[in-house]
Amino acid sequence: MTDRHLNSAVAAIRAAADRAAIAGRLHPDGEQRLLQSIVDATVRLFDAEASSIALFERDPDRLEFRVAAGPQGAGAVGKSIKTSQGIAGFVFSTGQALALSDVASDPRFNRKAAARTGYIPRSIAAVPLSDEQGTHGVLQVLDKRSEATFSLRDMELLGVFAAQAATAIAVTRAQREVSDLLRAAFKASGDRELTDAEVEALISVAAADLDLDDAAPFWRLADQVAQLRGLGERELNLVTAILGAVGAQAAARRGRRS
Amino acid sequence: MAIDPEDLPAWSEAFLAADRLARTAGISRVDREWAWGGATGKGVRVAIVDSGVEGSHPAVRGRLGESVAVRIDKNGDPEVVKDNGQDLYGHATACAGIILGLAPEAEIVSVRVLNEELKGKGAAFARGLEWAIEQGVQVANLSLSSKSDAMYGLFHELADEAYFHNVALISAANNIAEASYPSLFSSVFSVAAHAEPDPWRFYYNPNPPVEFGAWGVDVPMAWKDGSDVVATGNSFAAPHIAGLVALIISKHPGLTPFELKAILAAVADNPRTSVPAAPSAVRTKKGKKKGR
Repeated sequence: MTDRHLNSAVAAIRAAADRAAIAGRLHPDGEQRLLQSIVDATVRLFDAEASSIALFERDPDRLEFRVAAGPQGAGAVGKSIKTSQGIAGFVFSTGQALALSDVASDPRFNRKAAARTGYIPRSIAAVPLSDEQGTHGVLQVLDKRSEATFSLRDMELLGVFAAQAATAIAVTRAQREVSDLLRAAFKASGDRELTDAEVEALISVAAADLDLDDAAPFWRLADQVAQLRGLGERELNLVTAILGAVGAQAAARRGRRS
Repeated sequence: MAIDPEDLPAWSEAFLAADRLARTAGISRVDREWAWGGATGKGVRVAIVDSGVEGSHPAVRGRLGESVAVRIDKNGDPEVVKDNGQDLYGHATACAGIILGLAPEAEIVSVRVLNEELKGKGAAFARGLEWAIEQGVQVANLSLSSKSDAMYGLFHELADEAYFHNVALISAANNIAEASYPSLFSSVFSVAAHAEPDPWRFYYNPNPPVEFGAWGVDVPMAWKDGSDVVATGNSFAAPHIAGLVALIISKHPGLTPFELKAILAAVADNPRTSVPAAPSAVRTKKGKKKGR
C-alpha cells in the first residue's frame, strides 16, 4: 500500500468516525430504545397486562429482564432468573416458542420465577430471540386481556417482533466483539510485529462478525474507530490493514453469492 | 370443524392445499383401520429427547422404561449417564403424556439433554439423539432444535443414521422461518401446530419443509411435579405425530420412515378434490372407510 493510499484510507476512517460520533450523540443506546419500543408495541397490540424482554448474560449464566411495558410489567426490569427456570428458561434453552394458559390456577406449577418478577400471570406466551449465532434472549407476553389463550397468529406475530429484537441485539453484540478484537490486536502487537498467521486469525474473526448485510453495524464500527484517534502510525496501519482485508473478504463473499 | 384460512399463520396454509393431494390416488386403499386399527403402541420404544420425563406422573402411566441424561464432562465432551426420572421444566412429561394418550402401550425412553449448564448444549442434544439411535428405539420425538450452523453437519449425519436404521425422527418445526436443525432435514417428520382440538386430526403438507400439522393449540397436558397445564406450541404438535407413528409401527413392524410418511399422507385429514382416474387398472374398490 502506498503512502498516498494509506493517507486516504486513514482520512476515510476519520470521516467515518466523525459521522459516527454525530450519529452516536443523536441516538444513544439504540438497542435499549428499540427493545423498549418492541415491548411497548407488543403490549398495545395484544392488549396485555405485561410484556418483557430478558437477555442472556454471563458470569453467572442468567436471563436478565432488560425492558418491560404494560400495567404489570414494571416490576420485572433489572431482575434475573436462571436459564433452567420457568417458561423463559425453557424457551431460551430450546429455542422453541411456547404458550401456557391457566397457569395460576394450578398451585403445583413453579411460580417462583414468576413471583420474582413481581407478577403471577394466568397465561403467558414466550418466543426466543434467535439468529444464526444462537439464542440471545426471550420475548414474553403475559395475560392478553381479550382472551384466555394465545392463538397461532399471536405466536407468529410474536415471532416477527422477536426477529426485530434479535437483529438489534446481534448488531450491538457484533459491535462489542469488533471493539474487543481491535483492543486485543493492539495488546497482542505490543513491542513486536504480529505474524501473518496472527493477523489472518484476527481478520477471519472480524470478517465472521461483520457478515451482516446492514448499514447499521458499519456506523457502530465507525464509532469504535472514533475512539482510536491519537494512536500512533503503526497501530493505524494495523487497523487499516485489518479493515482492508475484511472489506476484500466481504466483497469476495458478495461476489460468490450473486 | 371448518378451518378459516385467515386464522392460519403462513406455514399452516398449505394444510388446505386440496388440489395438490390428487397425486395420492394410488394409495387411497390405505385407510386408518388398516394403518393402526386395534394397535396400542405395544412393542414400540419411543425416545423423548428433551427435559427429562417425570416417571411418576399419572399421565406417564408407568410406561417410562430407561431414563438417561447427557452431561458435559470436564473435557467438554458429552457423556450419557443414568437419570433420576425428574423433569427440569415439564416439557418432556407433556410430550410423553400426549404420545401415550394415542399409543398407551408404547414404552417411553427419556433422554434428558437440557441441563443447568448451557455450555455444550448443542453437543449434548446431538449425543442424546445418537444414543437413542444406538439403542434401537423406533421413534424419537424431538420437540427442540439447534440453530447453530456449526451443528449442521453432525445433525445431518445423525438424521441419515436414523433414516437408514428405521428410526422415525419426529421434529417440531420452528415458529418462524429460519434455519433450525434437524427439523429442516428432508428425512425427518417436521411438524407444525393446527388449532382443532382433536388429537387424531392431522394434515399432510405437500409444501415442505413442514410436512405435517397436528394439534398444538390449547392442548391440555401433563407438566412437572405432577401438575397439568394447557399449552400452545409446535412442540406439542410433534408428539401427536410421534404417537400415531408408534401405533402404525406396532401394527406393521419394520416399516421405513419413507413408508411411514406415505401412510400418514394417505390417511391425513386434508380436504381432497375428486381424484383423476388413475392410469392403472388395479384399482378395484371405490370409497374408503374412515377409521381411527
